[in-house]
Amino acid sequence: MNNLNSLQYFLPELFLSASILIIIIVDLLLKKDKKIITAYLSVLAVLVAFFLAYRQYNYAFTSLFEGMIVLDSFAVYFKVLTALSTIIVIFISMPAFRRHSEYYILLLVVTLGMFLMVEVNDLLMIIIAMEMVGIISYVLAGFNKFNMKSNEASLKYVLYGAASTGVMAFGFSYIYGLTGHTNLFAIQQAIVGHSLQPLPVFIAFVMVVAGLGYKIAMVPFHFWVPDVYEGAPTPITAFLSVGPKAAGIALFIRFLITVVAHPASQTTFIQNVQIQAPLLLAVLAVVTMTLGNVSALGQKNIKRMLGYSAIAHVGYMMMALVVFNTRGFTAIMFYMVVYMFMNFGAFWVVQSMTPHLGSEDISAYKGLGYRHPLTAVAMAVFMLSLTGIPPFAGFIGKVYLFAAIIKQNWYTLAVIGVINGVISLYYYAYVIKVMFLDRDEEIKAISVPLYDRVLLWLLLIPVLALGVYWGPLIDLAHNSIGFFFGN
Amino acid sequence: MEATQVLFWFIAVVTILSAGIVAFSSKLIHSAFALLATLVGFAAFYVYLGADFLAVAQIMIYVGGILILIIFGVMMTHRIYDTSKRTAHNSLILSLLGGAAMAAILGMIIFRSPWTATVFKTLKPTTSMIGTSILTNYLLPFEVISVLLLGALVGAVYLARREEDEE
Repeated sequence: MNNLNSLQYFLPELFLSASILIIIIVDLLLKKDKKIITAYLSVLAVLVAFFLAYRQYNYAFTSLFEGMIVLDSFAVYFKVLTALSTIIVIFISMPAFRRHSEYYILLLVVTLGMFLMVEVNDLLMIIIAMEMVGIISYVLAGFNKFNMKSNEASLKYVLYGAASTGVMAFGFSYIYGLTGHTNLFAIQQAIVGHSLQPLPVFIAFVMVVAGLGYKIAMVPFHFWVPDVYEGAPTPITAFLSVGPKAAGIALFIRFLITVVAHPASQTTFIQNVQIQAPLLLAVLAVVTMTLGNVSALGQKNIKRMLGYSAIAHVGYMMMALVVFNTRGFTAIMFYMVVYMFMNFGAFWVVQSMTPHLGSEDISAYKGLGYRHPLTAVAMAVFMLSLTGIPPFAGFIGKVYLFAAIIKQNWYTLAVIGVINGVISLYYYAYVIKVMFLDRDEEIKAISVPLYDRVLLWLLLIPVLALGVYWGPLIDLAHNSIGFFFGN
Repeated sequence: MEATQVLFWFIAVVTILSAGIVAFSSKLIHSAFALLATLVGFAAFYVYLGADFLAVAQIMIYVGGILILIIFGVMMTHRIYDTSKRTAHNSLILSLLGGAAMAAILGMIIFRSPWTATVFKTLKPTTSMIGTSILTNYLLPFEVISVLLLGALVGAVYLARREEDEE
């Protein structure tokens, strides 16, 4: 579709771009103590973008802007998910970031970048969309200017990010050189049509995996994660572990089913050229979750622990990538939503409790079950859900992930996954033990504001509800992947 | 051998040698200046490939902009004529092994793959073609980059600005 006609299908992104400009101007007119108004405006803008994106759900598959991006239900699913993650992050940030309107403007730019990431259909757009999320994330990671750790986190993030983007761009140059196209569908047809040699395609694939793997914090491209997660402001840490990661996984799936594979039957994909892509992904998944879980065991700082646990969860999701069928992709899309709520929940507890506890160490949570029972119980639910213990949402998500790989006879992978689940129980349960079994002599009750409690409930309810009634969401995820086969 | 070929090999040798100096020199400022020759060499290669616009952009952005910034950075960090700052080097054997493996794999790909060659034999200006592409097929990336730059500017201003209420 040509550029002018594409605009009518580009409303959420157009609205976000306009809001960014308007909020920058509004910010100039606001007095210093009124800067929080930009936060309200940002929430409003993302909410409207959320509904505009949601309305696109039943549109037929369309290729926009001369094939630069595509509009399909898969993209809409992830657009809605990433918009929701931005809304939650703004609510998490509001109590702490009252004076800096730049913060909310940058979050909106990242949201626009994530929207583009999930709908790209061109190598050039992949790089631009990823950089849009990446470059702004570097600033957000270093947002606490006077905190040395925050600065260090930001710098590390920039250096690793620049290197990985470079490697990915080099991989793209191979793909372009081999096929002569930048459009993903054209590349798919060129690779299938000319039956290229496996080696160059494989090397290009490895290089692109390096770039995407960095974005989703996959081992061995994870070195930045613990430092950045510890150093960045807590709401940003939560955001980086959900929003950009979801967009990265969406981009990864799209890359796999266009450049690496093509639809074969009603539910499965076969590879364009036989390269050991599933095996490579399986090995990376195993290494990712094992390293994430084992490193999390010894952590004293709760943000660092959650950082390593985030790496492990990427491993679980990558496990389902290896099967190359709708069942696997549906499981990942479902798990991403569940993961969003439980991870944001855990980070919100950290964010709201840190001022009261005076530290981010796990030991500071000692006796929290007696000082503020609601928060402690909610934290326990999030921890159990992250472990994957019934009846919480994390359990259902894991069941779908494991079912997808067992159906395709990846038994070794499934067994390693289960062992990893057991390892993770140790460090998640340790937090619960500290909160409930250890207690001080005198109990100093903590008073938590109404705002904090409401937000806590809003994050807690989906984790509980999706644990017992998950049918509609899994159907939605399943329908969203269906268009790749033309239904 | 024709004159263009002689020139090509000359440029290739200069580019690779200066890239070697960038990597192996112990003094930071030597690396920075050697990078100049490497980047200009690349611009010359682009001319050989018929990419005149890219060559000019390479000189303007990398040589004119980024390299100057790097040299300023090096000079401001240490005292101006103090070029004694040492760069760190990793274990030679490991680096050689890694580099050799990389070169072998990349060489295999480069010499064995059926590349779709689109290099024009005759040199013709590409600037107007690029301009047309940017405003037709590649309009969206072009516009999106402006939002990206706006975001980067806002972020850069925030990070560089002095806060009024501290100190």
